[in-house]
Amino acid sequence: MSTNVMDRRRINGPPRTVEPLYTTEASTDPFADGRKDSRALDQVRPIYMKTGPLGAQTADLLPSTATTASGSAFYEQGNIRISCAVYGPRQGRKSNARMGSFDCDFRYAPFSCSWKKRSHIKGADEKEISLMLEHAIAPAIRLDAYPKACIDAFVTVIESDGKAATIAAAVNCISAALADAGIELYDSVAACSMGLWGSQWVADCAQAEEDATTCSMLIAYMPSADEVTYILQHGKTLPEQTDQAVQTCTNLCTRVYAVICRGLQLSLE
Amino acid sequence: MASLVLSPAEQDFITRGVEQGFRADGRSGLDRREVTLRTNMISQANGSARCRIGHLGVGTDVLVGIKAEVNTWAPGEPEDKGTIVCNVECSPSAAQEFEGRGAEELNVELTQLLDRMLNGPQSGLELEKLCIIPKQAYWVLHVDALVLDVKGSIVDTLVWAARAALLSTKLPRVVVESITDEDGNLQSEFDVVDDAEDQVAVEGAENLPLTVTFNQIGKRYVIDASEQEEAVTQARLTVAVSPQLEICAVQKGGLLRGFPPSLLTEILQTARRIARDEFVKFKKLYEAAGSAQTTDEPNTGSTFLGAF
Repeated sequence: MSTNVMDRRRINGPPRTVEPLYTTEASTDPFADGRKDSRALDQVRPIYMKTGPLGAQTADLLPSTATTASGSAFYEQGNIRISCAVYGPRQGRKSNARMGSFDCDFRYAPFSCSWKKRSHIKGADEKEISLMLEHAIAPAIRLDAYPKACIDAFVTVIESDGKAATIAAAVNCISAALADAGIELYDSVAACSMGLWGSQWVADCAQAEEDATTCSMLIAYMPSADEVTYILQHGKTLPEQTDQAVQTCTNLCTRVYAVICRGLQLSLE
Repeated sequence: MASLVLSPAEQDFITRGVEQGFRADGRSGLDRREVTLRTNMISQANGSARCRIGHLGVGTDVLVGIKAEVNTWAPGEPEDKGTIVCNVECSPSAAQEFEGRGAEELNVELTQLLDRMLNGPQSGLELEKLCIIPKQAYWVLHVDALVLDVKGSIVDTLVWAARAALLSTKLPRVVVESITDEDGNLQSEFDVVDDAEDQVAVEGAENLPLTVTFNQIGKRYVIDASEQEEAVTQARLTVAVSPQLEICAVQKGGLLRGFPPSLLTEILQTARRIARDEFVKFKKLYEAAGSAQTTDEPNTGSTFLGAF
């Protein structure tokens, strides 16, 4: 994928490299004898969250100098690790806009994904996920309180484990960062993903589990407003299955929301 | 999705009209505009279709062309399947803001949406039949869509055109010869038959889904929004339904608000009901488009979608 495009800004490795092929294929059913990390089918992975200057969040990392962000958050959900910085409200591009604009920039770090080394150049899927995150979060922001301004969120996925789950985690991370930045919100947005395995919905699938599912569903929800701000489903389902998934997923989102709120409270102490 | 600047009075007029059950062109909330469909007008492509949704010959216009290529298998790719590669481009002739890189975001969004619908078991296509020799060669179908005009409801028009194009696609027949060599390995070679009469269709294309896009305006929702209605839309939901009335994809768009979960469920029910009628309409139009080529009309006339 990255072999055709010359990236002139960076020092490139050899022009043609391939991923190694592993001789022992451990392709066992990830759901045989319950889930690998012994979670229930409707249980989300444990969440760790920290807001504030990026250097102070993880003791192992060196303190960073990027303290100019209005708000930032570091979010972990199982093996998913995401960092988000929010800049704004700052001067927008259109000087006559009655409402502020919210822009999101999502990118995977090149080493973050299990499926392939990613190019430094943004792929189409990263661009689409940026749009998805904008659609999911913008309804929650009081954009009419920030005319002529723009709010930018920059999300970097440090480690990814399950495509839909990573996007859900990104939504949660941005919610936390926006609250940390003091942006006026109607409500925090909490997101959760599910996968359909056979005829059962499994919450928060890791990559191996997601590869075994036939359908994936991602829902971003505002519990206080009772509004689903984003839904993305792909894969065949019967309508009853979709309805059931919407119900279950919104309940899980409410639980994730409680965790995010608690995390924000702790960060104030 | 292309933005139209409306005055607050116009916005209010449309919103209140929809809430009372009136739309500017007299349709009901669940009516689609007129659909015109033509197929197989691009002689160089393996399949093509052009779909226009709108009144009086003006509407959202999408042209889809399908080219099939044979690709050599590389380690890491699926061993016994072909693939579909989608690309959607909005032509600057559709709107001034699409000039240069203006349409980039919209192109990415539409490409990914089409890619999600066509690649994967939910498309209903039998990708295994597109494999020529396992671990050696397979068909790649390049689905290229060109959006020629935008008058609201791009996604539905795009999916109608893509479905018609895939249904009309004819692949050359491939003859595979296998011999077992001295080491006992099976060596296979294939030949593409160069006969215009001897072609096969893409298996499973009848199972492709159609989409219905619901736009929430005020307290009610409408389908097949016109440009003006899209400018007033607060949130939209695209639902893809298969001919067997299963839900294949759901995607929400719109930056201003979300949907209450109860409304989501209602919309999914309505989508299935509307899709049932849409498939009947599609079949009728597709068959009419097919029979239009057998008349004595000159070929150049078939690219244009009918005079008014």
